Amino acid sequence: MSVTLARIEPSIAGVGDYVALLKPRVMSLVVFTALVGLLIAPGHVHPVIALTALLCIAVGAGAAGALNMWYDADIDARMLRTAGRPIPQGRVTPGEAAGFGLTLAVFAVATLGLLVNWVSASLLAFTIAFYVVIYTMWLKRSTPQNIVIGGAAGALPPIIGWAAVTGGVAVEPIVLFLIIFFWTPPHFWALSLYRAEDYARAGIPMLPVVAGEAETRRQIVIYTLILAPLGVAPWFMGFAGALYGIAAIAGGAAMIALALRVRAERHGHVASKQMFGFSILYLFLLFAVLLADRLWGGLAAQAVSHFAA
Amino acid sequence: MTIVSDAMDETPPPPFPAPLAGEGQGGGIRLTERQLRARRSRSIAIALALGAFVVVIFLVTLVKLGSNVLTRPM
Repeated sequence: MSVTLARIEPSIAGVGDYVALLKPRVMSLVVFTALVGLLIAPGHVHPVIALTALLCIAVGAGAAGALNMWYDADIDARMLRTAGRPIPQGRVTPGEAAGFGLTLAVFAVATLGLLVNWVSASLLAFTIAFYVVIYTMWLKRSTPQNIVIGGAAGALPPIIGWAAVTGGVAVEPIVLFLIIFFWTPPHFWALSLYRAEDYARAGIPMLPVVAGEAETRRQIVIYTLILAPLGVAPWFMGFAGALYGIAAIAGGAAMIALALRVRAERHGHVASKQMFGFSILYLFLLFAVLLADRLWGGLAAQAVSHFAA
Repeated sequence: MTIVSDAMDETPPPPFPAPLAGEGQGGGIRLTERQLRARRSRSIAIALALGAFVVVIFLVTLVKLGSNVLTRPM
């Protein structure tokens, strides 16, 4: 019996390559939405525990990103948007990325469970597993509904943040979940309209590749029409103030106007690019105003009770 | 005598395969300057991450135990 040992090149991966595996831009959105879920939750949590929860959620999101890049290295190499990532560039091996992602995922979930609570840790574990197994390994390559269903993973952080404080789940974070869930399709389909060739080259069945541009533009309008009222729901339901209500109505109206422009566009992708850019601003605006509204409301209530006493 | 001389003349086989480019003596790996720099930066990052993890555990322990952290059975 002969044993052949593979010659393994020593790694040239720098710290920056490992940071890139964590998808820092996605991570920042995850941390921000989780922070909002955490701060609007009733009850008190010590700032150190809150920061620990956010750190674990951030690391867990990064782990999911690394595992996604490990599994998708073949299609990343074929797409212009992702060809510069560390694995297609050969700076990080797929094995290194998988080991890095798995280690971080286990650490993030275990630390969140041991130091905060096991409800939020279970939700984080579910989010990572959903993103990696359901979205990356299954849906992404098999159905144009990939980002619709897979979007649930990106929508869960506010629920994790809420659970970190309360140890449970309630209607309020579920509404925030639904806002992100219905925001994801128009956001990604706007992008995929002007990146359709890239997706087709990689063999990913995004909606414009499979069903065509006209159907994608129609679906963008439908999802935006569901999203806009959902964006206002926190105000209607009483867990956000008038400032949030005004911002949500204005932002929702702008999203609908842009979606209709995308629908009407026949040549070029100016409206799609505008829709993609504005959708990021819209989601950030909703959560930022909700946060400001809650913090301002909390400070005002404290001041009133202080002077009343 | 002849037998011994013949044995002395034979060149003994090397204990390890001859080193290739990028390898040190005896087949060990000799890192390039770029690989050394990358390894050093990774080592520093791992040390910082572990240090941060220890600090998190320490702070959460203080928060959870509060003043009881000083209470020890005598």
